[in-house]
Amino acid sequence: MPMDDFLSRALDLAAVKGASYCDVRLVETNQERFVVRTGVVDTISNDESLGIGVRVLVNGSWGFASTNIVTPAEVDRATGLAVEIALASAQSSNGPVSLGPPVTSKGIYTTPISVDPFSISSKDNLGLLLEADQRMGSVKGISARTGNLIFIKEHKTFVNSEGAHVEQTIYEAGGGIMATARGNGEVQRRSYPQSMRQQGCAGWEFVDAMDLAGNAERTATEAVALLSADQCPSGVTTLIVGASQLGLQIHESCGHAIELDRVLGSEAAYAGTSFLTTDKLNNFQYGSDQVNITADSVRLPGLGSYGWDDEGVPAQSTPVVEAGKFVGYLMSRETASGLDLPSNGSMRAASWNRIPLIRMTNVSLEPGNWTLDDLIADTDDGILMEMNRSWSIDDRRYNFQFGTEIGYEIKKGKLGKMLRNCTYTGITPEFWNSCDAVCSDGHWTMWGIPNCGKGQPGQLGHTGHGAAPARFRNIQVGVMK
Amino acid sequence: MMGREAALAMLQKALGYSKAQETDIYLSAQDLGLSRFAGGAIHQNVAHSNIVLNIRSVTGKRLGRATTNDLSEAGVRKAIEAAHQNALLMPEDPAFEGLPQPSEAAKVDSFDEATAFCSPEARAQIVRGVCLQGAEHELNVSGACRTGVQETAVVSSHGVRAYHAGTFAGLIINTMSGSSAGWAKGGSWRLSDMDTEALGREAVSKAVDGREPVAIEPGRYPVVLDTYAVDDILEALSLYGMGAQAVQEGRSWMNDIIGDQAMSPSVTIWDDGSAPHGWPVPFDAEGMPRRRVDIINQGVVNTPVHNSYTAGKAGTVSTGHQAYFTGGPIASNLFMQEGGSSLDELIGSTEWGIYITRFFYTRLAHSKGCVMTGMTRDGTFMIENGQITHPVKDLRFTQSYVEALAGVEHVGSKSKLVLNEVGFATRVPALKLSSFNFTGVTV
Repeated sequence: MPMDDFLSRALDLAAVKGASYCDVRLVETNQERFVVRTGVVDTISNDESLGIGVRVLVNGSWGFASTNIVTPAEVDRATGLAVEIALASAQSSNGPVSLGPPVTSKGIYTTPISVDPFSISSKDNLGLLLEADQRMGSVKGISARTGNLIFIKEHKTFVNSEGAHVEQTIYEAGGGIMATARGNGEVQRRSYPQSMRQQGCAGWEFVDAMDLAGNAERTATEAVALLSADQCPSGVTTLIVGASQLGLQIHESCGHAIELDRVLGSEAAYAGTSFLTTDKLNNFQYGSDQVNITADSVRLPGLGSYGWDDEGVPAQSTPVVEAGKFVGYLMSRETASGLDLPSNGSMRAASWNRIPLIRMTNVSLEPGNWTLDDLIADTDDGILMEMNRSWSIDDRRYNFQFGTEIGYEIKKGKLGKMLRNCTYTGITPEFWNSCDAVCSDGHWTMWGIPNCGKGQPGQLGHTGHGAAPARFRNIQVGVMK
Repeated sequence: MMGREAALAMLQKALGYSKAQETDIYLSAQDLGLSRFAGGAIHQNVAHSNIVLNIRSVTGKRLGRATTNDLSEAGVRKAIEAAHQNALLMPEDPAFEGLPQPSEAAKVDSFDEATAFCSPEARAQIVRGVCLQGAEHELNVSGACRTGVQETAVVSSHGVRAYHAGTFAGLIINTMSGSSAGWAKGGSWRLSDMDTEALGREAVSKAVDGREPVAIEPGRYPVVLDTYAVDDILEALSLYGMGAQAVQEGRSWMNDIIGDQAMSPSVTIWDDGSAPHGWPVPFDAEGMPRRRVDIINQGVVNTPVHNSYTAGKAGTVSTGHQAYFTGGPIASNLFMQEGGSSLDELIGSTEWGIYITRFFYTRLAHSKGCVMTGMTRDGTFMIENGQITHPVKDLRFTQSYVEALAGVEHVGSKSKLVLNEVGFATRVPALKLSSFNFTGVTV
């Protein structure tokens, strides 16, 4: 039976059973993973997953069911169960769901890649990691090393009862290395290109360009040097946040805060809500006039790049913060309808067995005009912090605290000694309003975060965040003790 | 749901496709029903079924892996072959001693038919009940109610043959007023064990009592931690260092303090995957019995938990803690020894301090001492002269969890099972600690 027939079968059955709306996703995912730990190949793995998910509106309420067995009988069972669940939802409802204008998208999208990552031999991928591992191991004082590569190909077909039919093949490639040093009663680590790994919607060329082996010795050397570096001082100072760390800062303090489902309370019991309530839209100074933030699903190699979201809405670009003013949310059809706005295509599901949720696309800080050298030269006294080591933020996305792998003091416009155990903390709008400089596009990188948790049952989202180093004034640093 | 015979027959057949020297297959199957609610109504309501085969193939001292949920003969054969080919690509690992030999696990009954096949209507009824409780106090109620069954099975070419089906039920309730929030969480392998009305009362009372909180200055305070906050401490200590892989790589809080009196003598923590008053799974992903491991014994740091690989490196035997297909061993069925004080007595013994319902978004700031940062959430109150006097605004902390447990003054007499979403469970009492370091306050 052709796969499309399973999708239309579910649509037809849902209509017969009384669904006013139905969408169906058939998703097949292939993943290759390679992990090396301190000279030993820990993992070579091929993971495959196939399944179908059916989402329905019956009596104005949602139901969803899924199965990994793609047969006519199982598709019928899942569709019937989705309807049964929707009827149960309707017993505890605040009124019928409105989806706004119908979505009738049609087309095919494939992530543009140069080299299919699945065409590269496992031997070559392992060789890349083992060389990086060996170079990290050549540095005296390193107690543990890790390296990992991941390649994903997701093929999904989406149809809905309004006439949409889209087919997408999304490629992702990622990799990273980390060196851990122990000594002097301390444990320190350095990672490259960022904590855990850098990942993008791209082909194997993305990993090749990282040059993991070429950066391995420097990464390990810095980890050892951190053992004898000075502790980050405590106090209020000027902070330059490096591009990688700023990517996570955007993710936590802006990206989650602009998810309209959080704002409306859908995630209150788990991830929390947001301080960016609807009365603040177009009416709140989120940051300084240096701060321009965009959410888009079209800027490759961001992990939030695709052709259509999992409601069939086309990928697009949305201004979020313009010259510091808060102007836009990430939205689904249902939440946008409540604000009389069209969806901006931000719904994604982590797999065939999860419902789509509002997920960050590529939420990025637009570049400014400074070179990093000029920015440091313009800073009389402060600290440069880079590469995330820990992150925490409250349930309304106000109070955050981040730790970074490495820092450097800045004295009279010059980088000074290395600092370890660097931390900074603040309140989101105060922090972004203290931003007085952003570096230029030459320093701007699209960072990938492949482990963004949200929803129950849990889903790991893949998000992109473009950022360049930026300067913030009067920031509390050094809160380790 | 597959059932014992079907699951083991499928795995035995799949094993026959392998031409490797050693093979094991770990089956993980879940049927889940979950109803989420917010604003007093169900807004997400889902069911899923999935069966995943996780295959390890060994040739000499080389181990390759593959997973699939394609259960057709062609799909399974493809995954078996992929694991075999991956093994052939591996360099030899001298520390790898092969797949483990069979070892009989205890039989534990943690299956309840009513929980396994709970209908969406039954979950909706529970949701309606707790939403009504909140509505009586003009609270916005949200949360999730879930039921289902988790099946695990392992077979190997060495003769491992294990199967377990366990059910799960969980209810999370978050209540909010304009200025306050409350929380309750219940879990068990039997839905009927959960007193959903009592959980509703617990969440409602925190939000009602927490209205109009007052900001207090950050600093060091004595604290009384409710069970949910203690669960967070055990979870962090597990994730960041109770597994032998972390110890062997030198990134565990246990490094350099094994054998030391690092915590109060009133702190005893163990892991036991077979204890029926936890959320039992009697064997791990390698089919090895989950043995009881005394991790902290009267405040003395004793030992991490092992899988077969880390045990081989350490010259000991697996304790049955390979919780997932990949990654290191994890202590995921943790218990803390109860003491002799009721929660009221813990608060009554506190002249000045803070009562904390739970922690939120806690992350490791430094591995040495397991320094964590995070927020309080859903019910934080000032204690003065042995009594709760007023709610306080949520605080950020930066605190070594090891040092925190060194300052345990009193231990609660009643423990609570806290069951998280991915099968990680703790059974913990409330605690009174002499000092906790708060480093910020939220808006």
